[in-house]
Amino acid sequence: MKVEFKARRLDLLRMHLDVIREAFKQAVAPDRVTVEYPRERKKYPANFRGIIVFDKDKCISCFRCAHICPANAIQMTFYEKAWPGIDYTKCIFCHFCVDSCPTGALRSTKIHDIAFATMGEMKLNAVQMLKAPELTREDSFTVEYVVDSQGWRLEKKAEIDELALEQFIIPEKRRVSVCVDPESCLGCRLCVELCPNDAISVDRKANKLNILPEKCTGCGICVRNCPMKVLELKEVK
Amino acid sequence: MQEWQIVLPEKKHKKKFFGNLLEEVIKPAICSHCTACAAICPVKGITAGDRPIDFPNWLKDCVDCGACVKVCPRWDYRPLGGVGSYIEMFSARSKRFLGQDGAMVTEFTATALEEGIVERAIFVARDEEWRTRTVSIIDPEQLKNRKITGTKYSFADVLPAVKEAVLDSKAVAFVGTPCMISALRKMQRSFRKFERVKLAIGLFCTENFYHSQLSEFLAKKGVAMKDVLKTDIKKGKFIVKKADGEITFPVKELDGIIPPGCKVCQDFSAVEADVSVGSVGSEAGFSTVLVRSDIAKRIADAIRARGYAEFRDASLEAVKKLCDYKVKIHPYPPKKEG
Repeated sequence: MKVEFKARRLDLLRMHLDVIREAFKQAVAPDRVTVEYPRERKKYPANFRGIIVFDKDKCISCFRCAHICPANAIQMTFYEKAWPGIDYTKCIFCHFCVDSCPTGALRSTKIHDIAFATMGEMKLNAVQMLKAPELTREDSFTVEYVVDSQGWRLEKKAEIDELALEQFIIPEKRRVSVCVDPESCLGCRLCVELCPNDAISVDRKANKLNILPEKCTGCGICVRNCPMKVLELKEVK
Repeated sequence: MQEWQIVLPEKKHKKKFFGNLLEEVIKPAICSHCTACAAICPVKGITAGDRPIDFPNWLKDCVDCGACVKVCPRWDYRPLGGVGSYIEMFSARSKRFLGQDGAMVTEFTATALEEGIVERAIFVARDEEWRTRTVSIIDPEQLKNRKITGTKYSFADVLPAVKEAVLDSKAVAFVGTPCMISALRKMQRSFRKFERVKLAIGLFCTENFYHSQLSEFLAKKGVAMKDVLKTDIKKGKFIVKKADGEITFPVKELDGIIPPGCKVCQDFSAVEADVSVGSVGSEAGFSTVLVRSDIAKRIADAIRARGYAEFRDASLEAVKKLCDYKVKIHPYPPKKEG
């Protein structure tokens, strides 16, 4: 019994020494992995998905954002045109709306930490979305995880990261609406009614429909609504 | 700039096109309830189902495109009649399927699907109460269901289902009454996309009924629709088969509920179909088949080559007799009553 107790005591001593050594090490050169939010803020990438800002001058009311939203969080409301409003009780921050916007009217910010007083306030309309929400910045450091051959560590810089993002349009080839099967066209002119940019027009006297490719933004409303599916989006050079 | 022309039919009244259809077809009661207009309407305003064709709010909602007029088989109506042209005629019974008589409609569809001639087929199924609904057949196995094969004697919205199928598939087959076949041909002439309907199977037809009226009529005869196993018209008699026996009465008794649109129709054998099928001209358990187009001929040859059906001779005389009879009892323009 006595021998066993001796062995345990040696163990306990070793463990204590370990703890003291670790404490000294952390006091001299700390290797913490946590961010001391809100005094520090992590540096986010340029395609961060945060609160969305809206630019009314660029919006063409094509409804693409509302159509693509998987959470059904976007409600179009009519101001000068139909503009999107986001319900943040529903938004899952997938940013399909931002990606789908053909003109870059919706863009992201790096702001993710805002609080709402009530559920009702979480439903933003287009006017409330024109500016990024104001933040009281408590942070004075930006930290960043650095990974290299020696392992990974947290790097701390005495600077503040800009949270508003530049417009980030995913480069895609320009596509315009084309009638691929005019002989199946019903002549219902739904496309003319629906086009947000007046790119499709009808000549009621000559019974002719025409599409002006230079006006078409490729939003695809006409394509989705054509009852005979004779319209398609085609790439242009 | 891309520009294309739309051809508009001539208006007969100073109204929107549905108003014209209303004045020329629906009000004179020559509408056949083929549902082509309901299928083509771009705003889906025209209603069909188990009630006469209507467009409840047409004054406001009709977009005046003229598509309904372009596809209506009764606009500028010139009745078709007779046996029509055909490549071959025979009487046959399917060895694989059960149907009304020889199940040749089912056999043609199944073989067309197997040969890859069509991607899908629009059939009419029924529920317990014999209410109709359309089903899309993509696998011949589906046709083993007895609620899908066999005659229903009630209107169904087949052409709207055909239009949806045409938008998604490149090759479609469907089964319809002669008026639906004529409507489809008009749709194909007006809108190229309907050329995707590769196989139009026409049924021998003298008249069709509204389900509500037929079930009301049979209720008066003491027959509940859910007990009915099979309905048939043979030799001027309407036959209702039940689990506990059979009830027959002359078709003449049904005169009161024959829709007026059927009373101006003279096309018994679906002369514009790719293949026409019916019981007239064959012995019991066999169907008479009139092969009219090359595609139908290809399918008929495939059925023969694979031995899917038993073949016999059909009586042209019997079919001719009923074709003439339909022209006689359904004069156009209709006789003024009284």
